[in-house]
Amino acid sequence: MSDSIPPPPGTPLTLVEEVLLLALDDATGDLRPMPVMGLEYSLAGALLADLALAERIDSDPQQIIVLSSEPTGDPLLDEPLATLAASTGPLPVGHWLRVLAGEAQSLENAARARLIARGILREEKRKLLWVFGIRRYPTADDRELVEVRTRLSALILGDDLPDPRDAILIGLLTASRLLNHLFPEAAIQAREGRIATLARMDLVGREVSTAVEAIVKLISSSALSLRL
Amino acid sequence: MDIIESSHPQATVLALNGRLDGHASPIVTERIDSVVARGSGRLIFDLSGLEYVSSAGLRVFLTAAKKCQTGGGAAIFAGLPPSIHEVFELSGFLAVLQVQPTVAEAIGQP
Repeated sequence: MSDSIPPPPGTPLTLVEEVLLLALDDATGDLRPMPVMGLEYSLAGALLADLALAERIDSDPQQIIVLSSEPTGDPLLDEPLATLAASTGPLPVGHWLRVLAGEAQSLENAARARLIARGILREEKRKLLWVFGIRRYPTADDRELVEVRTRLSALILGDDLPDPRDAILIGLLTASRLLNHLFPEAAIQAREGRIATLARMDLVGREVSTAVEAIVKLISSSALSLRL
Repeated sequence: MDIIESSHPQATVLALNGRLDGHASPIVTERIDSVVARGSGRLIFDLSGLEYVSSAGLRVFLTAAKKCQTGGGAAIFAGLPPSIHEVFELSGFLAVLQVQPTVAEAIGQP
């Protein structure tokens, strides 16, 4: 996937961009702590959700179905759409999450480049220990960030029905445990039941959660057996 | 997907028969929007003839319920067959949407 895919002019953020934006600490630009593969699977899930919201794919617990292979006009989505459409038969969400998570680095790079092109992030280059060059991506314009946080906060703290896109986003942020970094711990604890309900409303969010939990368990059991 | 609309004094009933998937979703959404635009208050979905609902179909339901709520009305889902009830349960829809065993009970709901 190309790292320099410009956003179509005037278009709102994709879920892929929104997840990455929320995954970055707005002050330092570093990635927030997440479980192993949490970001990769969340970006992969966001991509599938973007394609679903663009009415290009549909899913059920058994499979993803390509409804239309007609390009959306957004290169970030059209490249993976072509991959899904070229598949020989319907495959489950979990399969495509694994495939897309394997390419999440280029997806992350592309989404980051777009956030910079939109003026939302800025790139900072620094030297670590005076030798290693590192790059960080602090927020340059926090309006999108404030907007999405306000929206999600109202949804979590209130009892209104979510719109499907916000339900998907909460599912992805819960699966990657990013929600814990975005809202005060007391609010998360007080609304635990509400968050759990919202998080399981979309199949992709549930599948991302299952995949990330499985990896966490695998690593925990491997670490335990090494200690034994 | 077959959609049958019927009007009652305080509610409109949409009976959805067949499969609600990504292909049928735009047609169903269009029909829902037309009912909501008329401001009919309570919108009852008779799902007793629904054989299958995909993720796209579930989004149609959630969006419809949200539109009704925003417009000061309500969406009620009635007559869920066991397979659809299971999908609603798995997706947490039973916790956030109004669900009634039958259309008659949904119409009679205060």
